[in-house]
Amino acid sequence: MVVLLAVVVLAAIPLVALVGVASADGWRGVVDSVDDRSTRAVANTLLVALLVSMLAVLGGATAALVTERWAWAGRRWLRLGILVPFLTPPFVAAVGWVRAYGPSGLTDDALGVGWSGLYGPAGIVVVLAVHALPLAYVVVAAGLATRAEPDLERAARVSGGSSRRVLWTITLPLLRPALITGAVLVFVTSVNAFGVPAVLGIPAGFGTVTTRIYQDLAFSADPAAFSRVIALACVLVVLAVVATGVAALSGRRAAVRTGGPAGPEMPAVGRSRLPLLLLGAYLVLTTLVPLLALVLTALTRAVGLPPVPANWTLANFGEAIDARTSAALINSIVLAVVAATLAVLLGALIVVLARRRGSRLLPAIATVTFAVPGSTLAVAILLAYGGWLRDTLLLILVAYLVKLWVLGLRPLASSADRLPPEHLFAARTSGAGALSAFVTVVLPIFRPVAAAAWLLVFIFALHELTMSSLLYGPGSSTLAVAVLNLQQLGDPTVTAALAVLLTALVLAAAIPVLLFRRSALEIGRG
Amino acid sequence: MTALSRPNAARRVSRHRFLATLLTISIVTVACNAAAPGGAVGSAPSAGGGDADPASIRLYTTISQDTVDAVNAAFATAHPDIAIELFRAPTGELNARLAAERREGRIRADVLWLTDPLSMQPYAADDLLRAWSPPAAEAIDVAYRSDDYWGARLLNMVIVSGDDVDPAPTDWDDLADPAYRGGVVLPDPGFAGSAFGALGYFALEEGYGAAHLQALSDNGAVQVQAPDEVVTGVAEGRYKVGMTLDYSVRQAIDRGSPVRMIWPESGAIAMYSPIAVLASTEAAESAETFVDFVLDVEGQQAIASTGWQPVRSDVEGPPVEGPQVTPDWDAAAEQRDQLLEEYRAIFGG
Repeated sequence: MVVLLAVVVLAAIPLVALVGVASADGWRGVVDSVDDRSTRAVANTLLVALLVSMLAVLGGATAALVTERWAWAGRRWLRLGILVPFLTPPFVAAVGWVRAYGPSGLTDDALGVGWSGLYGPAGIVVVLAVHALPLAYVVVAAGLATRAEPDLERAARVSGGSSRRVLWTITLPLLRPALITGAVLVFVTSVNAFGVPAVLGIPAGFGTVTTRIYQDLAFSADPAAFSRVIALACVLVVLAVVATGVAALSGRRAAVRTGGPAGPEMPAVGRSRLPLLLLGAYLVLTTLVPLLALVLTALTRAVGLPPVPANWTLANFGEAIDARTSAALINSIVLAVVAATLAVLLGALIVVLARRRGSRLLPAIATVTFAVPGSTLAVAILLAYGGWLRDTLLLILVAYLVKLWVLGLRPLASSADRLPPEHLFAARTSGAGALSAFVTVVLPIFRPVAAAAWLLVFIFALHELTMSSLLYGPGSSTLAVAVLNLQQLGDPTVTAALAVLLTALVLAAAIPVLLFRRSALEIGRG
Repeated sequence: MTALSRPNAARRVSRHRFLATLLTISIVTVACNAAAPGGAVGSAPSAGGGDADPASIRLYTTISQDTVDAVNAAFATAHPDIAIELFRAPTGELNARLAAERREGRIRADVLWLTDPLSMQPYAADDLLRAWSPPAAEAIDVAYRSDDYWGARLLNMVIVSGDDVDPAPTDWDDLADPAYRGGVVLPDPGFAGSAFGALGYFALEEGYGAAHLQALSDNGAVQVQAPDEVVTGVAEGRYKVGMTLDYSVRQAIDRGSPVRMIWPESGAIAMYSPIAVLASTEAAESAETFVDFVLDVEGQQAIASTGWQPVRSDVEGPPVEGPQVTPDWDAAAEQRDQLLEEYRAIFGG
């Protein structure tokens, strides 16, 4: 019943509303609106998303193996560092890179080294990959925590297997569901990305589906333009369906976990400092320098002045935090916390209740709503629920859940076979009610994954710009509204100040969660 | 927990039933919701907005926050009995919200205030705007108003250049000068209405046309999203010269950015930000009072106080430093798709 309700409310109703819009305008209009530019935009989007998925999963999995497999000193800070690019909102990540590495950027001014290719497909792929790598990392690391079997790995090594052989024959096959989940989520996120392609693609004349949709919406008072928006949104949905389909097919032969709870962690095998050094260098280049460039921009009195102490001021931060911003910030944090908690609870419930029936179908359905671009999804949600919930925070919460419940569901679903049914039966026959069985048996097992999933939803919700800027009403404005207001006032130094504050805030929120996750890992293993 | 013990055959049947139930419920819900255009079901009175209390109006706008705030504050002093509920969003988001509300059967806004005439034009063409004449509109130049909507402020498209650029450009043609090769930046007409207005002017005006755009492109001109980003790019030294709004340049200069404003010799491209009352309003009197206030001296002074040029010549605003030219809005609206296509054939995207 819960499953049915969730699917109806979070997927079927909005999607039916969307189809309703398209069919009201006549499908002919939708079909006719496909032109050369649309097909080019689709091809560009596919190219970018495929490259980003490959890079991010490769990097994320490597980083996860490095941080989770060996007992590094200061490992929790490494974990945190890997996540930092993800904590910067995408709409400022691109600007940070431009200020750091673009022509007339930090490195260009200081060392004479600027990267003009930053504008165009190469730059878009690199920045999106850096930004999506933590997403893959979180999913794979959570997979390692729940799925990997140190006992098996130890057995293989004792029997004479090299570490490379252990990796290929034991660890990676066990991780496959997590790798696939990571790839699908990164793919759909990249297909949906708007901020990065808008900043880096437009100067190079490189359009993607989302930038195209945004341009069409600017003219959507014209019904033909609106039909094109729906058509392009449908293309994204199809891409998501294909991606999840491919993933479901390749996941069919996934290795199934055999053992009970994991034994103690692998001892530190490799003492080499090389991986640590590489990771450190990567973090400096992809995170620290762009962030530094942003901080310098935020500190500078006016855009274009050299970022030297003589030109520094804190006035930008003062302008960024007015009463309106603070109220919006509180709304956003409350919304993000509630959305993350609900999405994870819902994900856990669905995984338990629908373990076999629809266990492939449900994550696929949830991925579809994730793939609908925010602007279009918001129109669908306004049509579906606007009559009852207009101008309330609840409407925005529903929108966040519709968009993000996949992030609560998929990571949990990919660790579902960690949950032995007999444990549930045992709890139930021993007299535990459904709720207490859920709380005592299911939640502890899922805790590491649940914490990771919670963090994903929380951050995505906090960074959400498009939907809430379209759905808000008096008293329910979110951070997105404040950011867009500031942006339209046109001063990049103030926007940078807000971005820096936001990143610091998310960092502050993420650290406790990560520390909690660490202890959860240790309890799970001990 | 029943799913855990259900046998195989029953499971297959139940999946079909599951999908069928799901689809039925969704369609019924959407249909019911669409059939309740008042949206009064279970909503708090305050959420009803304009229809609950005729002395309260809803303003949908794309105008920057500080300007709307200044106007609304002045209005609140002059008409404390009329409350304003504000929804402010960029053009694309506002259009999407209006598109959704039109499909619901009712636009919730009483007053619409947009950035440029082209965004307003389709709503007028679909007869969504109220036919009336604000008394204050008499004082507005005919170039800055139409029958159903009236300019409430002016945007001037001008040239921005870096402080150290020598020689500085003096007119639009100079942007195609090889002296600035690879250093010219323009706002994207697909994103910014003001940029499209400029495109309309150049494409339709004799002496420019597609050849001017091609010359700009040959000179290595680059497009960015918004006029503000043009100023940022020039201030940071990424580009030498660009096309942007006078307001953006003045604001940057005030803060101390190393840029200067050049008023083109042949004229800045002047565009008006139109305001209108929706035909579907249930608070027509209050809405008309507000629009007339915005167009009258007091409202215009509030606009001028935030650095924008008022549309009335009898209200003092930032200095107009040279001639102003206007695009033929009707022709530009008519040929919009074609103009954008020509533009994109040259600039990509």
